[in-house]
Amino acid sequence: MTTYRQAWRNRGPAAWLLSATLIGSYCVLYWTSWLDPIAQGLGLRNRWFLYGLLYTVGVGGGGLLYLRRHGSSRYNRLRIMTNFGIQAIFGFTLPFVMPLLGQPEFYFSYLWPLKYDILYPHTLAGLPTYLAVYAILGATVVAPVLALSFGKRWYCSWICGCGALANTFGDPWRHLTSSSTRAWRFERLAVHTVLLVAFAATGVIAADQLLSSKSAAFSSFAYEVKQGYGFVVGALLAGVVGTGLYPLLGPRVWCRNFCPMAALLGIIQKAGRFRIRVKRDMCISCGNCTTYCEMGIDVRSYAQSNQSFTRASCVGCGMCAHVCPRGVLRLENHAPRARDKARQGLITADF
Amino acid sequence: MHVVIVGNGIAGMEAALTLRQRDAEARITLVSEESDHFFSRTALMYVLCGQMCHRDIEPLERGTYERLSLERVRARVTAVDPERRVLQLSDKLPPLSYDRLLIACGSRPRPTPFWPGYGELEGIGHFVTLQDLAWLETELHLSTGHDRPPREWAHLEHTTDDSPYQRREAAATRRGTRARTPVVIGGGLIGVEVVETLLSAGLSPTFLIREDWFWPIALDERESTWIADRMRHHGVDVRLGESVQRFEGTDGRISGVLTDQGGHDADLVVIAIGVVPNTGWLEGSGIERDSSGGILVDEQLKTSAQGVWAAGDCASVRWFNGWVRPEQLWYTGRDQGRLAARAILGDEVRYARGTWYNSAKLMDIEYTTAGLVNMGVEGEASWFFEERGRVRSTTRIVHVGGRVVGFNFLGRRWDHDLCVRWIEERRPLSWVLDHLDEARFDTELVPPLRIPASARSPVASPP
Repeated sequence: MTTYRQAWRNRGPAAWLLSATLIGSYCVLYWTSWLDPIAQGLGLRNRWFLYGLLYTVGVGGGGLLYLRRHGSSRYNRLRIMTNFGIQAIFGFTLPFVMPLLGQPEFYFSYLWPLKYDILYPHTLAGLPTYLAVYAILGATVVAPVLALSFGKRWYCSWICGCGALANTFGDPWRHLTSSSTRAWRFERLAVHTVLLVAFAATGVIAADQLLSSKSAAFSSFAYEVKQGYGFVVGALLAGVVGTGLYPLLGPRVWCRNFCPMAALLGIIQKAGRFRIRVKRDMCISCGNCTTYCEMGIDVRSYAQSNQSFTRASCVGCGMCAHVCPRGVLRLENHAPRARDKARQGLITADF
Repeated sequence: MHVVIVGNGIAGMEAALTLRQRDAEARITLVSEESDHFFSRTALMYVLCGQMCHRDIEPLERGTYERLSLERVRARVTAVDPERRVLQLSDKLPPLSYDRLLIACGSRPRPTPFWPGYGELEGIGHFVTLQDLAWLETELHLSTGHDRPPREWAHLEHTTDDSPYQRREAAATRRGTRARTPVVIGGGLIGVEVVETLLSAGLSPTFLIREDWFWPIALDERESTWIADRMRHHGVDVRLGESVQRFEGTDGRISGVLTDQGGHDADLVVIAIGVVPNTGWLEGSGIERDSSGGILVDEQLKTSAQGVWAAGDCASVRWFNGWVRPEQLWYTGRDQGRLAARAILGDEVRYARGTWYNSAKLMDIEYTTAGLVNMGVEGEASWFFEERGRVRSTTRIVHVGGRVVGFNFLGRRWDHDLCVRWIEERRPLSWVLDHLDEARFDTELVPPLRIPASARSPVASPP
């Protein structure tokens, strides 16, 4: 791999230009209707389906390039092919076809709290029963249980559309994610703040809809919360910042720092079975794992300390294990076994 | 107490961290000629490829020295006087006195045999130091990358001519074109690493190996042939059993390598024939060394001089099988650094090496070894299995009288820790084959290794 010898992957002029283009495109998409005529000209219902189509092309094209770089691992191959399949079927085709069959436009691959409006009482009331049950059970039972068993990767790295785009189209910039202590502090503060806000916003809006506006002041407050959350989290952080900054700050800016779903599953992951196991005294501290961690986890610090670990932010993409020249790391869903108990490795400077 | 550590590598740095962790007050000074910051030498090839940048290969954040009050001197130590407890630095710097001294100054490239042209022609060098990396980057790309180590050349004022950290002019600079026909000499791990980086730069190197097959101290002929085939498949001209005789040049630059089999065009030569302890500066100090230059130490890693310890590549320690020689490994450097620090603090310690193990990646083929392999143990036999399915791998288990003493694996990942335990428990071969799957460390979704009964049949049970 010659990552650092390509300017477009290292904040060269092309990276800045691409980032500006992406940000501009998101602004046009979110806050103008200029793209509607183009979408309709292509036979798509509105600009959001044009976006969906481009998104799917991004996952597909980026996925092919990804497979050229990292396709020697079976885990990588199956994961990226799943990402594309989910996006093509559940992220584009099904939502497009369902209205033709008299069903609502529904995205099966997005769950609350990532899809923040799906659990509002009014939204649920407007869905056929099977979809309402899916949305509720998906968020409250299926997602947490799977996260306990397999870690959050089942969602963030295999199913989620944001993760799919990050790992395909965004993969060339994964080494740009900062692994500094400062970036880690910011991540924990930001992502848990968004999680709390997501819970609070859902609560306020649900209360307002269930009480059906007994107080005009509360109603207008709930409206402000809904609009505000949609603008800041839904559009600004997930789209404009999250994807627009791929070429400058790495592909997981949104997932790492702002996604409430990732934060929630991360907390569950800490209590579950998923971990990265470290082979004893084999790490040579080269740092490939840390460099290529898209979540900015300093994997090397664990590997050289012989410390098997579970980090809340880890999306289980498997790249640390893939790039390790000594085969030190392994993603696992096992309860710790006695023989894996860490013996002291390299002293980290955390004292 | 003032502890001075000569060397800022894994052994020196680990010792400094251990000392600081135990003693918040001690004055600790690290003397390094090569770099301001501790970095992973094992990762130099990734910087050369462009797979990582300089900052990526530094395991500690750059503020660590200040935060932990570790003082640094960037200079070459030219002599030590253990009687007066003083280190001589270059002429321009005052001598440095110490209470306790740890020598962890690592290795330097093994001196080349008499090959006329060496030392006179540009475009010939090694790949051991940070300065070698800068030279090779220039040979391959005409410039070094934009991310440079801080104060990269600060040591040049305080060095000597025989230093392995000298700046080397690249043949590419005067020629104005990057290298096109590189030759790599030496069939070992660093050789294959250099070959890989040359391939990643789009070149097709010639790989000159003196032995009959690649890396004979670690691989047998079947294993090695697979690696050589893989190199050839990628465009490497692998030459086995070929010895270098002389270098040829034009305009002071390398132009070819003459061997006992003929000649090869060359505009770049990288010599990777191993390293030796970098201890020439101890001449006359009274600190005893063995014939390889390794500093002789006792079980507490103490040298023959009062108040002086040694750790890492420069120290000759006792191996598990009784040899006394340096252990040029990352994890033993780390262990020795930590242990020496404890010895300096007065702990009762004893350096005892366990069973040998190691791993590497040869091209894209994973390699893991444990125990006695290729050691010629009396009465040894090998059980060998080659897998050719969705995964290609080889498994070689060395046993003596049916009891397993060593493992050599290619193509899959294995948990060496479990293999070492089985060796120490003197497990029979048949038992090990039954339990081999427990040591599997492949990434998820890789199909397991299946050994057909026919491949197991000749396995004898130990009496």
